[in-house]
Amino acid sequence: MPSVIQAKELKLAYPRHEPVIRNATFKVETKDFVFITGASGSGKSTLLKSMYGAMEIGGGELVVGGMDMRSLSSAKLYKLRRHLGIIFQDYKLITEWTVEKNIMLPLIIAGYPKDVCRAQAGKLLSHVKLTHKADHYPLELSGGEQQRVAMARALAHNPFLILADEPTGNLDDYSARVIWELLLRANRELETTVLVVTHHIPDMYDAQYRHLILENGVLHDIR
Amino acid sequence: MTFVRNHLGLILPLFAILFSLEYLMLFDRTLSRYEVRLKEQYSVVLVAQKDVKTKSIANASSLIEKVEPIDTGKALGKLARGMDRERVEKLKAGMPAFYDVKLKRYPSGKELERLKSALLRLKGVKRVLIFEKVHDRLYGMLFFMKSNFYIFGLLVGVIGFLLIVKQMQIWQYEHRQRLQIMALFGAPLWLRSGVLFRMAVVDALIAIVAVAGVILYLPYNTEVAALMREMGVDLSALMIPRDFGLIALMGLGIALFCALWVVLRFREEL
Repeated sequence: MPSVIQAKELKLAYPRHEPVIRNATFKVETKDFVFITGASGSGKSTLLKSMYGAMEIGGGELVVGGMDMRSLSSAKLYKLRRHLGIIFQDYKLITEWTVEKNIMLPLIIAGYPKDVCRAQAGKLLSHVKLTHKADHYPLELSGGEQQRVAMARALAHNPFLILADEPTGNLDDYSARVIWELLLRANRELETTVLVVTHHIPDMYDAQYRHLILENGVLHDIR
Repeated sequence: MTFVRNHLGLILPLFAILFSLEYLMLFDRTLSRYEVRLKEQYSVVLVAQKDVKTKSIANASSLIEKVEPIDTGKALGKLARGMDRERVEKLKAGMPAFYDVKLKRYPSGKELERLKSALLRLKGVKRVLIFEKVHDRLYGMLFFMKSNFYIFGLLVGVIGFLLIVKQMQIWQYEHRQRLQIMALFGAPLWLRSGVLFRMAVVDALIAIVAVAGVILYLPYNTEVAALMREMGVDLSALMIPRDFGLIALMGLGIALFCALWVVLRFREEL
């Protein structure tokens, strides 16, 4: 079975800048739960961006879900993204849409009927304990609540891979716990591969996770 | 409130552009009708020592539509009352020949001067009466009205266009977030831009209906109706259904172009 993510001597750089990632060689297998840590500005988010095609590959190889990210047409890239669950540090919720509609977004894109989208959104709203906020707009919610909505959106379409960029960076303890629990459940119960970029690995994780550290543009597999 | 403001941002400039377009077309037709009326009422009178062939008068200028001899007998009618027939005949024989020269369109002052010179060059022609004072006053008024209507219409159109450009920039900013997020989740172009196109079509339809409503109301406005009566123009007869088709096409075209511009200018932020 092919790896979910496979990187070989991956190099990433912003135009007219020194490479942020100079050498990243790693593999992420199905059902893996992977943490990537590193100091601020070490390139963690840049590395994550390259996995959903928001960052050009400067050298080496990167294959996500069997697709070579170096030579991906935009049609294929969009197709890949439809099977990913992405959680951003700044939530990236559509402010003019209700919480329920935001969660329905990946399902709308996948072309599911409205009632199916509604039912799935309702289920996820109860998982993130926000059923009572279904008709609210994102800006009426606290940061923690917004991130829980983003979490529900990332899980809505049962993605094969969840990419989370500092998902609990600015959150209160309660919201952070809800997020971590849901990520863990998705990994254990739905066998979803999870890759999280973070500063600190939360205490609640047991020995079953992998840990990669990014230092001076080089990725080290330490666990 | 934001919702209403977002919609008015396109509806108002579209209304201005479409209304100015219809306004220009309508008043162009109104003035053309008025010009025809003026032309029909206006004629040049040619006085000749003896009979001149009407064909040679007509050939003197391309501006001439037709030439009709004026019956001098009618002119002498009152004068000859009480005179014997022989004297009347003598008087008639000594009178010059008069011709009524009808024109194809209402001429400018310069055209009229050229026509007068051309007619005076004809053999036997003594005088050409062009009634300059009446003509110049009417032509001046017509020219003033025409210029004002065009300038006003153009000004409204330009302001509408500038407002639309502004709205396109606002849209680009407003819709960027949604387009960006939808792109990150793999939404195809048609789905990403669907909201924008739907909004553009709805706004265009509202603007089209509003313009059509105002135009259809015009004949019922007492002041407009009085002015048109004064000019001898039937406003309802000038409203052509084709205009509404043109306005609808233009309104939808502009709105869809704006939406397309925003969609095509969108670049995913890396």
